[in-house]
Amino acid sequence: MNDDLRAALAEYLLTFADDEMVLGHRDSEWTGHAPILEEDIAFANLALDEMGHASLWYRLHAELLGEDPESLPDRLVFHRPASGFLNAPLVELPRGDWAFSMLRQFLFDAAERAWLEGLARSRHAPLAAVARKIQTEERYHDRHTRAWVLRLGLGTQESRARMQRALDALWPYAVELFEARPGEALAASSDVAPESADVRALWLADVVQQLDKATLEPPSETSPTGYGRDRHTPHLAELVAEMQSVAQLEPEGSW
Amino acid sequence: VSDSQLSRFEVFVQGRKGAAYVHAGSVHAPDPELALLNARDVFSRRPNCHSLWVVPADRILRRTVEQLSAGAETDSPATPGKSETFLVFGKIGHRGSHVFLGETAAAGSSQALSRGQEAFGHLDVTSWWIVAEATRSISAPEEARAWFDPAKDKPFRDHAFYPVETFMRNLGRGRRQQAR
Repeated sequence: MNDDLRAALAEYLLTFADDEMVLGHRDSEWTGHAPILEEDIAFANLALDEMGHASLWYRLHAELLGEDPESLPDRLVFHRPASGFLNAPLVELPRGDWAFSMLRQFLFDAAERAWLEGLARSRHAPLAAVARKIQTEERYHDRHTRAWVLRLGLGTQESRARMQRALDALWPYAVELFEARPGEALAASSDVAPESADVRALWLADVVQQLDKATLEPPSETSPTGYGRDRHTPHLAELVAEMQSVAQLEPEGSW
Repeated sequence: VSDSQLSRFEVFVQGRKGAAYVHAGSVHAPDPELALLNARDVFSRRPNCHSLWVVPADRILRRTVEQLSAGAETDSPATPGKSETFLVFGKIGHRGSHVFLGETAAAGSSQALSRGQEAFGHLDVTSWWIVAEATRSISAPEEARAWFDPAKDKPFRDHAFYPVETFMRNLGRGRRQQAR
């Protein structure tokens, strides 16, 4: 792999790491607040899983750049300004109600699943290995969120209304998960990563079918959110400030 | 007692292939599928889970030896001719949890309890649970890897992963060193 491709792939993978990290943080905000104890634990589990995936992606990112895979992830998560995060705005939106968080998790997990299929076939063996490892765990997330989307969609009038409201709000952001990522052009043309457009087609067929089962309908027309991986909503800065608050108290501290 | 948290299911965990299922606790869920998912999150976070059973809590016939010796009904009329499989659980002695002892065919849960007593009465069972097999849901064996393997490489979920030096421990260490 030449240096240009290494650098492109490193940046590309940072988008995955940041997506997982920021979503993991949002999920963790449910700890102590979920509607029932069991879901509280389940969401804390999801949060830990997403953070675990983030750490795998950050390590790969560091290795591609020849940086220390032990210390770089911490530097990126706890000492990088919010403006440097490459996550999609979908994952930084405040957690909203239970329907909102569950539906976001579903839309994101389904996208992740579609991506992992492509990444698991990457020509870069360490990347394919990480993708396969995450795939195993995502199968479980997927079961969990699909089960809830179905039950909330088919549940009471209120649960359905909340889900539809969440879908209307989330859909434009979800669709923008598939905007070309930094580094993607070179990574995809070198067979180390799939094309976003292909992944998007897989995802769309899958989620529309599942939403339909839950009697939920994506908005027929959406306008661009105006945000992107390089242009965040104000919510990210707040999230990052909170996430970094402890580490910033003692920047040289060891944990 | 009315409960706002959906229905309750009893959860049984099999620690490794071939081991007996042991009662681990209960979860709330709207249906058996979510009960299994919740059971996975609540009871298999630490390693050592091979398979899970869940059973609606209100479908279990529960009898302690005290209740039985006080003459609680065991021989309620069986449904004639309609035999089905029951799972027999017993708590051995006064410690620990209900453990799966075996199956028996019977016409109704009361008859299953009598059969269970005949088959496993030699054990020091202090409490019996009888479960119709049809009411039990099992985690899918083909999903076992996705459900249970990830816990094995997540040591950071365990409190022992974080070497927190407590004030008291340091104090104790200081004292021991002084004594030497």
